[in-house]
Amino acid sequence: MSPKLLLLLFLRRWHARIGFTAVVFFLVLALTGLVLNHATDLGLDARYVHAAWLARWYGLAPESPRYAFRSGRHDLIAANGRWLLDGRISGDKFPQPVGLVELPDMLVVASSASLHLYRQDGALIDWLDRGALPGVPVRAIGSGARQLVLRTALGTFASADAVSWRRAPRGPIIWSTPAELSSAERERYTELLEPGISVQQLLRDLHSGRLAGRFGPLVVDVLALFLAVLSLSGAWLFLKPRHRRERR
Amino acid sequence: MIRAAFRSLAVLILALVAAVAARGEVYQEPGAFVAEVFGSTPAPKVLWLTKEIQAQAAEILGHPPAQLRQRYWSEGGKSVWILEETGKEELITAGFVVVDGRIDHARVLVYRESRGQEVRQSSFLKQFRDAKLSQGNRLDRGIDGIVGATLSVRAMERMARLALFFDRVSHG
Repeated sequence: MSPKLLLLLFLRRWHARIGFTAVVFFLVLALTGLVLNHATDLGLDARYVHAAWLARWYGLAPESPRYAFRSGRHDLIAANGRWLLDGRISGDKFPQPVGLVELPDMLVVASSASLHLYRQDGALIDWLDRGALPGVPVRAIGSGARQLVLRTALGTFASADAVSWRRAPRGPIIWSTPAELSSAERERYTELLEPGISVQQLLRDLHSGRLAGRFGPLVVDVLALFLAVLSLSGAWLFLKPRHRRERR
Repeated sequence: MIRAAFRSLAVLILALVAAVAARGEVYQEPGAFVAEVFGSTPAPKVLWLTKEIQAQAAEILGHPPAQLRQRYWSEGGKSVWILEETGKEELITAGFVVVDGRIDHARVLVYRESRGQEVRQSSFLKQFRDAKLSQGNRLDRGIDGIVGATLSVRAMERMARLALFFDRVSHG
């Protein structure tokens, strides 16, 4: 048997072996790459997977909520960047709240550098960042004379609509204060407020191999080399017999 | 003792870096942009998004607006709209100055994405100058894209359309 034929047989055998061994990995790489290319259009950056085992896998230590803010019929519990407002999860990248106040026509949650205004049914009316606040950091939020009151580093300010602010007049103010959670409540809310990983992040880590830890990217590197070998051997197997036929 | 001090310092630096990253690249504070446009800061006004406005805003954005009211500033026939829209993964904050139903100028105020900062260049932003709404709440011109910043360019275009639409409905 000629050396060229031997090489051809060797390549064909190994081309098939490598292809078969890596077929699952290649499919995973191709599918995750395809989906990642359209992740924003599919809204995967805004979708989160909340599972205790996944958080543990990522090394995220879930934080247990210690207290709740209550105002009228409403309550807010926060942990792991998530808010549970009246039993509804409000988001995944939220700051730690400093208080909650119910006004006649809205519900206001303050963090040290932002205000979130909600309708009574939980729909977001407006979100004000530091530039729209009369002062930061916000140290406390309260209500007085049917107005919203903020105690900030620059003083105490009041507003009826959270748009225009003025120095708070003298008078009684009810400040929002945290209420300690019982251990049973804490356990229940810890489960509800588990930290999440975005689907996009998850796919990205699966695609790069980082999901498998330190050695994951090395495995993907090896797969990339396999793919290169397959392309070259495939090209060789395709071209060589053709070349031989033409020469004949 | 020294090791503990170094560790605390490292944690502090990491926390600062994380805080800066979370805030994004602030090119101009929104308040400063408003003050620059008007010479001083007029009292903000509020546009409540009725169901009809929400529906049209959703058509422009491709998703429902995040909030039920929009703050803006207006004086002497000029209005300023500070809007936020997601580029690829993070929000872009941009300011639009509208005069007589046309964009006078636009500026990227805060950019939080890791790539695509080119949308803040004046060579890109000048395309919005004098743009107005045509049929179907579309801009009366095409906006040239930037390679590698396609989603940020689209977000800027959507915000420009929304600013013009909000300006129109704010005049009743």
